[in-house]
Amino acid sequence: MSFLSVNITLRGLTSRLLPPSSPTSTRLIPAMSAAFFSTTPAMAAAAAPAKGGAPKATPKKKKGKGKGEARDPKIVNMLQHFAALSPRRIPAPLRMGRNRHLRHWTIHRAWLMFRRKQREQREGTLMRQYQSMHAACEELRQTEGPGTRDQGYLYRVAMEKKGVYGHNGVPIEYARPQTETPARMAWNHEWKP
Amino acid sequence: MAALREVSRSARSLPLSQIRHSYQLCQRRCAATQAAEAVLQDLETDSTLGAPELSPEEKKIFRPWKRAADRKYTLPSSRYQYHPPKYNRGPLHPIQSPPSSDPIARDFVPGPFNLPRLRQTYQSTVASDLMTLAYNHKPPGESHEHEQHEETTDRLRGWDGSSPYHKNRQKRAPRGSPVLKLVERDITFRNIPEIKEITIATFVPEAIKEQDYLLVARTMLLAITGTTPEITKTKSNIAQWGLKEGERAGVKTTIYGNAAYEFLDRCIHIVFPRIKDWKGIKGTTGDGSGNLAWGFQPSEMAIFPEIEVNYAMYPSKMLPGCRVFVKTTATSDRQARLLLQALGIPFYGELRN
Repeated sequence: MSFLSVNITLRGLTSRLLPPSSPTSTRLIPAMSAAFFSTTPAMAAAAAPAKGGAPKATPKKKKGKGKGEARDPKIVNMLQHFAALSPRRIPAPLRMGRNRHLRHWTIHRAWLMFRRKQREQREGTLMRQYQSMHAACEELRQTEGPGTRDQGYLYRVAMEKKGVYGHNGVPIEYARPQTETPARMAWNHEWKP
Repeated sequence: MAALREVSRSARSLPLSQIRHSYQLCQRRCAATQAAEAVLQDLETDSTLGAPELSPEEKKIFRPWKRAADRKYTLPSSRYQYHPPKYNRGPLHPIQSPPSSDPIARDFVPGPFNLPRLRQTYQSTVASDLMTLAYNHKPPGESHEHEQHEETTDRLRGWDGSSPYHKNRQKRAPRGSPVLKLVERDITFRNIPEIKEITIATFVPEAIKEQDYLLVARTMLLAITGTTPEITKTKSNIAQWGLKEGERAGVKTTIYGNAAYEFLDRCIHIVFPRIKDWKGIKGTTGDGSGNLAWGFQPSEMAIFPEIEVNYAMYPSKMLPGCRVFVKTTATSDRQARLLLQALGIPFYGELRN
């Protein structure tokens, strides 16, 4: 049922976004849809001549500007994109009945709660890591180092930040975004652009 | 109830006494149901059907029709559907737009539909690694807050009091700059640098003569970012360059959150590796408060996948370059650089701040 309604609204949207085709503009419309929108059956429906309001919404014919030179078709194409995005063509907002709206509201609240829980969990993990680092450093500070080293030697070594903010502070091999299907070879050192 | 669910559907309708007899039968055909059982484990076992029935007293109290009858006003009919206002008429106007999270709002955008992998990596690994890398121990018992307070206040230059007119005179800004610079804060679990937003800007001085340049720039940024860019105007009069103040000669747009991470991901993993003789980002970039920037030449814009797939759409000679400003929550350039290095951007040359 919902799928059907989505289809209907999409059709409405595309028929609003795209001007009803006149013989001159039919050539441009497929290029436009290929560039910006996915091609769906609804698109085909929109590309067909619209039923109502055709004389009112026909695209304005370009005036010759005296010189009579034709504009670059690429520029015309881009202009049509922005015409489709203009605020006058933005579709009407969704309409929802009371119960449907309440369902959405419930789901939205649940989503917010889910996000908040996740965020709090992340923050809690970071806090616990920080606190255990703090405890470990405090322990180091009060221990007498290996052999004849005085108290706090290990702590001072640990707190050294040599080169952290330098060129190789974070090695480039570290920056490997996590994926569900990681590569077999972690890093190709022989790669040259 | 849960035990009942494990039994096959047809058996559930039988009375309990019969089920016990046919239990052996059920055991035999469990191979098919076992696969479904793993899926069902995520579901709640409690059902509203299993809830105890209302007592007669509760039934007496629960009278929705009575509430509806006693109501002084009438609810709008169920055919009524609220329409958000078309225009925002200011914060004091009685008619206000619903929040953008409301699906009927005019600026409602559904989503998010994915978690960008760069953001996922940041949240799961990079954040805690940066925190560990830049950890600065402060032994307990010392008042560091006081230190920090002194460092961040009293940064304006006072007057020495040699003249009676110095009394109540305003303090001066630091030498050399009219504004105070940000004070670098230590990286703690509350303060880990993060990507805030990315602004992409283009300056197209040719657009003063020929408006089509502006159109190409707008289309390009629209394709790259997915947002409708806004047009900027020139700020100053420079006769040699043919610039006058207030002319439309540039385009900019800002992306936030997931879109920013996706854009950065595309830059790092698609565009940068394919630029010829690319050394990295200049180490001296940055405004001193954690915002780093770089630029793309016009020829490099064609590497962006959104432009590459449809390169024939653009007049190639009119394609401009652009500047990219990455704004982070870091309070100094070196912390911002640490973040971008961890996300995969190399820097070269002298490193500043």
